[in-house]
Amino acid sequence: MLDTKELVRYDRQILIPEIGESGQERLKNAKVFIAGAGGLGSPISIYLAAAGIGRIRLVDCDTVDASNLNRQVLHWEKDVGRKKVESACEKLKDLNPHIFIEPVCDVITAANVLKLIEGFDAVVDAMDNLETRFLLNKAAVDRQIPFFHGAVRGFEGRVMTILPGRTACLRCMRKESLPPEKFPVIGVAPALIGTIQATEVVKYFVGAGRLLTNRILLYDGLDCRFTEFQVRRDPNCDHCGHLKGRGQGE
Amino acid sequence: MSVKVHIHKTHRQFTNGLEVVETRGFTVGECLKDLVRQYPALSGSLYGKKGGLNPLLEIYVNAESAYPDEMAKGVKDGDAIHITLMLSGG
Repeated sequence: MLDTKELVRYDRQILIPEIGESGQERLKNAKVFIAGAGGLGSPISIYLAAAGIGRIRLVDCDTVDASNLNRQVLHWEKDVGRKKVESACEKLKDLNPHIFIEPVCDVITAANVLKLIEGFDAVVDAMDNLETRFLLNKAAVDRQIPFFHGAVRGFEGRVMTILPGRTACLRCMRKESLPPEKFPVIGVAPALIGTIQATEVVKYFVGAGRLLTNRILLYDGLDCRFTEFQVRRDPNCDHCGHLKGRGQGE
Repeated sequence: MSVKVHIHKTHRQFTNGLEVVETRGFTVGECLKDLVRQYPALSGSLYGKKGGLNPLLEIYVNAESAYPDEMAKGVKDGDAIHITLMLSGG
């Protein structure tokens, strides 16, 4: 049940027919795991916290560096040197004291990923490397938890939503990893991509609209162009191929 | 027989700024080979160390992922190939 303060706080989105009070209660009951408190993690966690997601676990192993401040808007000048999850969670708790936010300062590895995401209803990708994305993809598929992918570089970004066993996963469209890099990026790129990821999460929980499943959305900020490409489930996918499902049904 | 290849903006420096190049071929690999014939400087960006597709790239044919075996993917007159960059930053 939503209390009086929550009804006031979320009034404008409760007015949206696709959300309403029942949708808001679903958001309140949702548990979301966000992997990364950087460029993507900042807008994702800000908008999910503001929307009233009841429980957020935010995982990141880094400390705030001055070179993060062009895009990681949860971290400010005064936070340089602090753990990112502490800096982020402090602001998120100030933004919305009605939700539970749990900071975890840890490296996501093959050994701990399943334990980290255990009990969560959604896994959101805000990582800065492909290798960890594959770890998260596999863990989400194994636990059949929806996975919300996003990535950026320069003025560009990409987004895709994965419903394990029902729609194409990251691995259905790529198996080769890439070495981590110091990637170029302008803050507005992760701002836009992270906001789309957060939109997908909200849509998923309230059951509204059409999710970005079996299609990847590419954004080119320089041309201000969005392009959508279709992605099919690979029945031989080494991550999700073993799951029987409705295939291309989403 | 013409297949339009949409060039990613980072590669347009090698195509005199062209965003779309008309190529000939019955597979993605043949079309990319024809693309490099027209614009040889693209070779270093399109191919990896072992001669296959550069792992930094993704290929879509008629707005659909061509993965896996992108180079062997068949194409026909009027098809469109998009070359995009794999993104991994966050």
